[in-house]
Amino acid sequence: MAPVVQCMGLTKTYGRKIALNQVNLNLERGRIIGLLGPNGSGKTTLIKIMNGLLEPTAGEVLINGQRPGVDTKLRISYLPERTYLQPGMKVLELVRYFQDFYPDFRVDRALDMLARLQIPPQERLKNLSKGTKEKVQLIMVMSRDADLYILDEPIAGVDPAARDYILHTIVNNYNRCGSILLSTHLISDVENILDEVVFIKYGSIVLHAGAEQIRQNERKSVDRFFREVFAC
Amino acid sequence: MLGKLMKYEWKATWKLLLSANILTVVMTVLARCMVSLMDQVGHSDFRMVDFMAVMVLFTYVGSMFAVCIGTTIYLIHRFYTSTYGDQGYLLHTLPVDTHHIIIAKVLVSAAWVTINIVFIYLSVIFLLATSSEILHSMMEGMVDVIEYLGAEKISLFTVIMTMIAFIFSIFARVLKVGACISLGQLSSNHKLMLSFAWYVGIYVVEQMFQGVYFAIMVYVQEKAAYRSYRSYGSYFDNQWETTLLAAILSCVAYYLLTWYVMDKKLNLD
Repeated sequence: MAPVVQCMGLTKTYGRKIALNQVNLNLERGRIIGLLGPNGSGKTTLIKIMNGLLEPTAGEVLINGQRPGVDTKLRISYLPERTYLQPGMKVLELVRYFQDFYPDFRVDRALDMLARLQIPPQERLKNLSKGTKEKVQLIMVMSRDADLYILDEPIAGVDPAARDYILHTIVNNYNRCGSILLSTHLISDVENILDEVVFIKYGSIVLHAGAEQIRQNERKSVDRFFREVFAC
Repeated sequence: MLGKLMKYEWKATWKLLLSANILTVVMTVLARCMVSLMDQVGHSDFRMVDFMAVMVLFTYVGSMFAVCIGTTIYLIHRFYTSTYGDQGYLLHTLPVDTHHIIIAKVLVSAAWVTINIVFIYLSVIFLLATSSEILHSMMEGMVDVIEYLGAEKISLFTVIMTMIAFIFSIFARVLKVGACISLGQLSSNHKLMLSFAWYVGIYVVEQMFQGVYFAIMVYVQEKAAYRSYRSYGSYFDNQWETTLLAAILSCVAYYLLTWYVMDKKLNLD
């Protein structure tokens, strides 16, 4: 079976600035992969290109062997690093919205997660706190049975207790046949759930290896190794 | 998916825009009551009624402008935020065709602009036509003006085609705004400013084309009038044809521009 993600010579420039530089990357199915790098390393740019939100300057990305389009969007569940919800919508309307557009959306799973967090379905999104909105967004994304979950900085800017909840939600709700690509610079929080890590620096992939492999070969945690690789 | 997109676009806009149109109705009823009161009081020295009537009519005209401009600004803001703002991250990751996204937004926006215009026209008619005789006189007056300008006959066909051309013009206006906002997204910086610059640029080019067209038409009519003793203004007879053609060409051009940027050059950064 073809890798879920294939990047071939992927390059993105903004004027003279190179955001991604000849990225070649294959991501296999059924894995939880950490896309790790400091701020401004190109993580979000790579993710946006995979989702068809940005056009690459050169190179190509394939999702399930296809270029980003309607078919790939059916199979990717994407959590951006910002709130993309319509403030006037009620939580339940958002559930119906996802149900209307994504055939793999599981309403019962979404309602169950909302109930566990005691988020009232009739509440308008504009009345929720920033943290609760992020949780609602995560619940929507994780209530799909996708082939690929792309989560851009899902734990940035939330307190440690919320981080635990988010990671718990991710690990317990994803489609086991699919993969998770999780972008973050908070390695220590996610290290234990990662199967693979991809280190990205100045728009280039500097390492793609198994998390366990790094721990065995380097005799240190991924977090420690990351700090050495990206030391200023 | 087009139906679902339209459903959510409508749901996102109806509350505010319907409220604006209800304001039109309320102001019309108030203004009409004031006109009736003035008729009953007559031309007496009751200054308070005059003062109130002036105030109400002034507010009425202001609210009509506010509703028109407010609707336009809201629809532009809605298009920008839901397509190229944060909400665009959700819209553009939905498994829907770009054509459907554009069509849904244009149809709903054009529907609101049309509703807005119809409400305002009806409001003015309701305000001024205090009796069927006045309404009849107004219709006759309009026909007189058009005929005075040189139209030889106004058939039902001409009226219908003029209305169709008018509706296409609304679509062209909506699509022009969409195209300008989209073109502004091609830059990494100052996207809104660039969108405005595109709008001004396109407006200037359109005016130039219109100027050249009218110059040619006046020249052609001058020749025709000299040969056949027709009226100088008789080109108004077939004005709908030109309007319709220009609107359709504009719709196609602006639609393709919007689609190209949204589908091939999307740049959500």
